[in-house]
Amino acid sequence: MKIRFRSIAITAAILLGGFAFWRSIAAPEIADGVATPAATRGGQLVGSIRAVPRSFNRIVAREQTTELLSFLTQGRLVRINRSTFDLEPWLAETWDASPDGRTFTLHLRSGVTWSDGTPFTSADVLFTLQAVFDPKSESVVANQLTVAGKPIAAAAPDDHTVVLTYPAPSGPGLRLLDGLVILPKHKLEGALAAGTFAKSWDSATPPSDLVGTGPFLLREYIPGQRIVLDRNPRYWRKAADGTQLPYLDRIVLQVVPDQDAELLRLQSGDSDLTQSELRPDDYVSARRSEDQGRLTVEELGVGVDADAFWFRLKPEAWKNDPRFAFLSKPEFRRAISYAVDREAFAENVFLGAAVPIWGPVTPGNRIWFSPNVLRYPHDVNKAKEILKSIGLEDRNGNGVVEDLQGHEARFTVITQRGIGWYERGTTELRTRLARAGIALEIAPIDNGALIQRLLSSDYEAMYYRPLSTDLDPAGNMDFWTSNGSSHFWNMPGPKGAGLPNETPAPEWESRIDTLMAEQASTIDPERRKAIFNDVQRIFAENLPALYFVAPRIYYAHNARVLGVMLSVQRPPALWSADTISVR
Amino acid sequence: MIRFFLRRLTFAVLLVVAVSSGALFLTRLAPGDVTANLGAFAPPEEVARTRARFDLDRSPAAQWGGWALRAIRFDFGDSFLYNRPVGGLVHRAAGNTAVLALAALSLATLLGIPLGIISGSHGGVAPLLIRGASLVCLSIPPLLTSLLLVFVASRTGWLPAGGMTSVDAVDSGWSSWILDVARHLPLPAIALALPIAATFERLQSQSMAETIHQPFVVAALARGVPWRRLVIGHAWRASLRSMCAIYGLAIGALLSGSFVVEYVTAWPGLGRLMYEALRARDIYLVAGCAAMGGVFLALGSLVADLLLFAADPRVREGQAA
Repeated sequence: MKIRFRSIAITAAILLGGFAFWRSIAAPEIADGVATPAATRGGQLVGSIRAVPRSFNRIVAREQTTELLSFLTQGRLVRINRSTFDLEPWLAETWDASPDGRTFTLHLRSGVTWSDGTPFTSADVLFTLQAVFDPKSESVVANQLTVAGKPIAAAAPDDHTVVLTYPAPSGPGLRLLDGLVILPKHKLEGALAAGTFAKSWDSATPPSDLVGTGPFLLREYIPGQRIVLDRNPRYWRKAADGTQLPYLDRIVLQVVPDQDAELLRLQSGDSDLTQSELRPDDYVSARRSEDQGRLTVEELGVGVDADAFWFRLKPEAWKNDPRFAFLSKPEFRRAISYAVDREAFAENVFLGAAVPIWGPVTPGNRIWFSPNVLRYPHDVNKAKEILKSIGLEDRNGNGVVEDLQGHEARFTVITQRGIGWYERGTTELRTRLARAGIALEIAPIDNGALIQRLLSSDYEAMYYRPLSTDLDPAGNMDFWTSNGSSHFWNMPGPKGAGLPNETPAPEWESRIDTLMAEQASTIDPERRKAIFNDVQRIFAENLPALYFVAPRIYYAHNARVLGVMLSVQRPPALWSADTISVR
Repeated sequence: MIRFFLRRLTFAVLLVVAVSSGALFLTRLAPGDVTANLGAFAPPEEVARTRARFDLDRSPAAQWGGWALRAIRFDFGDSFLYNRPVGGLVHRAAGNTAVLALAALSLATLLGIPLGIISGSHGGVAPLLIRGASLVCLSIPPLLTSLLLVFVASRTGWLPAGGMTSVDAVDSGWSSWILDVARHLPLPAIALALPIAATFERLQSQSMAETIHQPFVVAALARGVPWRRLVIGHAWRASLRSMCAIYGLAIGALLSGSFVVEYVTAWPGLGRLMYEALRARDIYLVAGCAAMGGVFLALGSLVADLLLFAADPRVREGQAA
């Protein structure tokens, strides 16, 4: 009897324990549905980053975490609002432009000091530009501050005025300065003079040596673990109601390299923000957490970057391959565009969270997107007709089209391994193209190997997402012009690995080269837009790279975080951290 | 004893050199290099500078030669990812891994050996249950265990879902810091310890089952030695030889298992550092981590040998001879 009672008690305890465990997993606490309160000062925000910073000096390092820290700790003369894409005054309060668009007189904000109390003056701006263009600095921003191949000249009539003279008229004008983080002369002039600027403010620099004009100061950096930033008490910016910004006392950025772990930490409340947008596979899980009151999920709109599918269009690389005869014809690529059902692509690859596109500029780039480019509605029969018109037919009945000499339209497409939507995207392409008689074999490879093969033009076809460096086309000349280093379907060969370009660019590429040069040096925005619409039209007709859908961007953050201005560009939230608060 | 120790030390040095050199060569020969981290369309001059900085513009043999010469002076080169010397990074990460490995090994020992003694010396339902649990633990890889534990921790809030310290530990003193680390330790330690505990249990059980039928145990039983004393005092001590040998391997398993566990649980140890280094083709960091991994393995092996040396008189006699 005693034994039976003990058994019952143990069973009951196990059941109760199991029930409690299940409840704790299945029914988390639900936050009150209160109206959004006003922002208040104080509190700590915990974010995550997936990689450590290589440097605290944005002039010499470009990777995401260094860029993020530059937003948090430094200031620019002007900034592009990542949410509205408008140019905003920042350390420069006002400016005047000369009628020829080459000279800009910037009036610096008065009363701004570096975080160590030293006044911020025009000497800091001149010093920063000097550092950017000094060859020993190994600057990564010099290219984007170069106009017509020459650097921007600067002069300082007084402590609060800077005169910038561009070597030629520039379409983007002052927007170029968004990439220029202003650094303190009093801290770094010694390094520049000694030729050690490239190594200054590296990631081993003690936080006390770093000063800035941004909303936060670096307090602690533990490699591989976390970065702690405290409020800059000398930050110059105030909210509309006069409250001194930033609202937050502290930001802690934890290093979480794995994106699954990053999402779990966000859902568990260990983290308030993540480094980047949600992946398509994470929407459902994040929405569930939103229903439970843990997260706020926001749709930011259509992304500005999209996956591309392209063939290597470098004649030198296909010298002994007869397939280039049909591959080089725009009709072949148009047939592919007709063969792909973009609606189904959005559904199957991005789980519905994407919109059809016909070129590299997506609707997310509101200023430059042109809806009037040639479109290719899904039509497999039309694709087959086009292929037949260039001599490609399935003559032996094996399902794959071939030319008169029997060379099949069969290619290997490489993509990055481990990225869900790349793998789904290539599978969808294989299925769709097979119906038109084009055979694709998929080879997912490591990102490093993929980049090496891209740079050396050692592939047949590729599916990848090349990121644009700028929303303004003048900032992406390397992509559009035939000798550009991001002209990925026909990479120039100066990097040692690639084949030199021996064949002149096709006529349509030369037209794009001319138009891009013209729009980059045109001041009138309407004229620039019209020229760039032409560029997009030519691109869509010739399809050197095929774009099918642009993803919709969703971002999730803890429901206690307020005042986040989200952007489809990276970093999505912390580019404007001074207005963020927590409740 | 000294000759034995010197021989083991020589083996340890050779192991470290072989492992780190092998890692350097393999990373160099694998497709892609560290410049891929600069992005697909980095300016050519930046790519060239980076290649020169990491000696990727030299032949693999010349690169290895330069690296080996510097390594003799304890300069293991710079990390691309962290942009600082490899030595300090590896040193810090190795300390963190040692804390985790020690905790996992202790847990595995405390769980595995007593359960092995029970299952190897008793009959009935308990040994069956223990054996079943061990098989389950052996079958589930640490990756799955750690993912499951992180999921449970994130949903229940019983334990921190990852990391080594919490963000509130920024301003805390030493005692709070230690307590904070202790709160973060169970999750990765359990994930790492379970398969090793199961291995210990299986081995201890088999060894115990064999020893328990040895004539000296039967004779002791016949002399009226109580069962508990017989098991612990006689049979267990005699069965320890095989357990000592497995400890060196267990340390190796802890290191290989810690790759994924540290990554998933964001524990800033050697495994995670090496994983990041491998992904980024951060060549000198890979070699540095591999060298430290070799040191761990050699230490594990040395500890196992010393334990065996202490536990087994035949080994001692062999040395003396």
